Amino acid sequence: MVENKKTKNLKEFSTSADRFEGANLLCPGCAHSIIVREVLNATNDDLILSAATGCLEVCTAVYPYTSWDASWIHIGFENAATAVAGAEAMYKALKRKNRLLQPERVPKFVAFGGDGASYDIGFQWISGAFERGHDMMYVVLDNEVYANTGGQRSSSTPIGASATTSPAGRVSYGEKKEKKDMMAIMAAHGSPYVAQVSPSKWKDMVKKIQRGLNTEGPTFINAVSACTTEWKFAPEDTIAIADLAVDSLVFPLYEIIDGHELNITYRPKNVIPVKEYLAAQGRFKHLFKPEFKHILDEWQVRVDKKWEQLQRREEARI
Amino acid sequence: MAEKMELRDVEVWDGNMAAAQALRQAQIDVVAAYPITPSTPIVENYANFLANGYIDGEFVMVESEHAAMSGCIGASAAGGRVSTATSSQGFALMVETLYQASGMRLPIVLNVVNRALASPLNVNGDHSDMYLGRDSGWIQICAFNAQDAYDLALCAFRIGEDHGIRLPVMVHQDGFMTSHTAMGVRTLTDDVAYNFVGEFKPFNAMLDFEKPVSYGVQTEEDWHFEHKARQHNDLMTKVHPKIKEVFADFKKLTGRTFNLVEGYHMEDAEVAVVAIGTAVKTAQVAVEKLRAEGVKAGVVGIRVLRPFPFNEIKAMIKNLKAVAAMDRSSPNGTVGALYNELAGVIVQMDKAPVMNNYVYGLGGRDITIAHFMAIFEDLKANAKAGKVQQPLQQFINVRGPKLSFLSQE
Amino acid sequence: MNKGWNEFDAGAILFTFNEKVGNISEIHSEDRPYSPSSSFTASVSDWRIEKPVFNKEYCIDCQFCWIYCPDVSIISRDKKMVGVDYDHCKGCGICVEVCPTNPKSLMMVAEGKDEEEVLAAWPQKDQEKNNG
Repeated sequence: MVENKKTKNLKEFSTSADRFEGANLLCPGCAHSIIVREVLNATNDDLILSAATGCLEVCTAVYPYTSWDASWIHIGFENAATAVAGAEAMYKALKRKNRLLQPERVPKFVAFGGDGASYDIGFQWISGAFERGHDMMYVVLDNEVYANTGGQRSSSTPIGASATTSPAGRVSYGEKKEKKDMMAIMAAHGSPYVAQVSPSKWKDMVKKIQRGLNTEGPTFINAVSACTTEWKFAPEDTIAIADLAVDSLVFPLYEIIDGHELNITYRPKNVIPVKEYLAAQGRFKHLFKPEFKHILDEWQVRVDKKWEQLQRREEARI
Repeated sequence: MAEKMELRDVEVWDGNMAAAQALRQAQIDVVAAYPITPSTPIVENYANFLANGYIDGEFVMVESEHAAMSGCIGASAAGGRVSTATSSQGFALMVETLYQASGMRLPIVLNVVNRALASPLNVNGDHSDMYLGRDSGWIQICAFNAQDAYDLALCAFRIGEDHGIRLPVMVHQDGFMTSHTAMGVRTLTDDVAYNFVGEFKPFNAMLDFEKPVSYGVQTEEDWHFEHKARQHNDLMTKVHPKIKEVFADFKKLTGRTFNLVEGYHMEDAEVAVVAIGTAVKTAQVAVEKLRAEGVKAGVVGIRVLRPFPFNEIKAMIKNLKAVAAMDRSSPNGTVGALYNELAGVIVQMDKAPVMNNYVYGLGGRDITIAHFMAIFEDLKANAKAGKVQQPLQQFINVRGPKLSFLSQE
Repeated sequence: MNKGWNEFDAGAILFTFNEKVGNISEIHSEDRPYSPSSSFTASVSDWRIEKPVFNKEYCIDCQFCWIYCPDVSIISRDKKMVGVDYDHCKGCGICVEVCPTNPKSLMMVAEGKDEEEVLAAWPQKDQEKNNG
């Protein structure tokens, strides 16, 4: 294994040689590639990667081009976890049989999937891979919508967001269901490391990626991926929106170790009202009409309550 | 290091044990599997071998058949020998990934213990699942008994893993009739079997860190057709010669002969049935009886369903006057799939036999020697008249009023 | 690149490099043997309406632009910001937004604009922002 990479400060980190290439087909200002770069640059270890069908996959491996500098596989929408789990099993088998081509090189196995691939259609495959305990990391690029197919709701879509299959209209405020709590679900699998990250808080994120990669067993990362196209904000604002998400505590940054020990890893100095986060995105625009004021108010209450819960769990040290 | 298993020259094995033993002897690197009747004992037997120190590879018990094939794809792309087993609903759940495995040209060996497809649910043998896979880009080889299941599983690795082929292979056996029926199976020692299969030679492996590779990319309208054409070309032109070569080597080693199409008394036959699986063996017994009566009857057994041995069948049936296509899957709205395949052959023949179609054996219903005797009566009449004397398609051994379709009156 | 069906690797696989490579995380792009299949060899410059122009004079090498660039288009070497990779930049403008200097060290300008002219007319320090 290569020594743990030095990422003390950004200058040091910027000496990384990226293993993800430009001239991919992701939208200008897409957070997916910022997340992928921070994940891949967090280590100098060799990597075996997989991706679920979705924006990332469909924009980074369109024949005759690939944007991946490490071996990478895409099978389908639902099975990115199993694809990399299969590769990990092969690595173990060949190691035991002394048939690795470069036995001195020890790879990390990382799967990427959007919230559609992870919260919804691929949920069973992730659950199976985590139960079996493969030595791998699963990273969700959570943009809270089926972005690749044009903005349909997923079980990660939050209340009040307008998606094409839960559109806001004369009598509807958009999505009716609360976002699925994937962090809690993955922690309940007994995963040794589960963390929520934002690419805008790069140091927190890279530290968590490194911890996840260096933890044996299946680890889970939920990364907020602000989507310029479907959240409807200007492409240059991707990082600003991601910061609003964490500073409003809509996306609190925390980790759960061994399924129970919860640490909040970032406490905003100035907590921003949820309203400001929502107002910055077109998908919530309709919530500012008088008839939907109650949804806005409920949003703040819900975020406050969740933050309170997280703090209590952290204090409880159980 | 895995222990070797001492085998008697002849072991009493059913088809599932025969397949499991072949997998053990081939020293698979990764088996990712999910149990389903009637192929479950393949997975259980393999787990037992592992529990007793006979397996070095990884055995990944996944949460569904879709995940089983997904894991096999990841493992195969990583670069090693991979196999699994399934049946019926599990096969149906796998279908999406079957196309992905073959499109990525990954030489996975899938043991398919054929079983009916619901609804209504049924755990017994028919060929609905095998037919479901016939456009999936896999090589499909058919066993007629447990001995075949053992021999062909060993051959399958040699065929699929060849660097000129690089295609996944299904080895089919009939649910229960083969999978759960014990027979004396002639065995190879572990060393001889492994030497025949050969060491896995990595090819475009993801785990080759010196040559990073992307698998499963997108090809749209400007590339997709070329890739599909390439795969079809390789299936049409490269696979049969390789299968023949492997079968020839296997014959040298064991004396046991396999062909793309298995003819039984076909040299001078005037009437014959074409079938797949255990029905081939039943038909052979009927033919023995008919031969004793002086009827020039024969059996055509489809050994390789994909790539379809078009020219070999054409040559084999060139002197027939009447032939029957035996389909063990409900065609649900047309003639049987095997009938259709054979019709494609027959329209290209100068002197074409007349052909009719029987649907039999759905959901484990028996087909007996008596049924074949009756079928041959039809064929004799058809041969004599020079045209089909019954409705083109008949269901046999189904209760209720006689069921037949496409009367040619 | 319009190859016939018989002219590519079976399985629609793509190799990133033409030659064998060592640990690629220790080799920068200029020293890598990219194959024509790597999107590194492609260009998305025609996606841009505006482009970021870099003014070295004000840059403090904080590397915010490097880490937040979605398109691996901020070239940094030896902890220094070197410039923009215009083959891969899609013109999103994130680098300008996250640039903390006053005046900014990166500015979005119309795609066709002459870089020398832009640099000559670079905005002055924003006193208001500074005081605030």
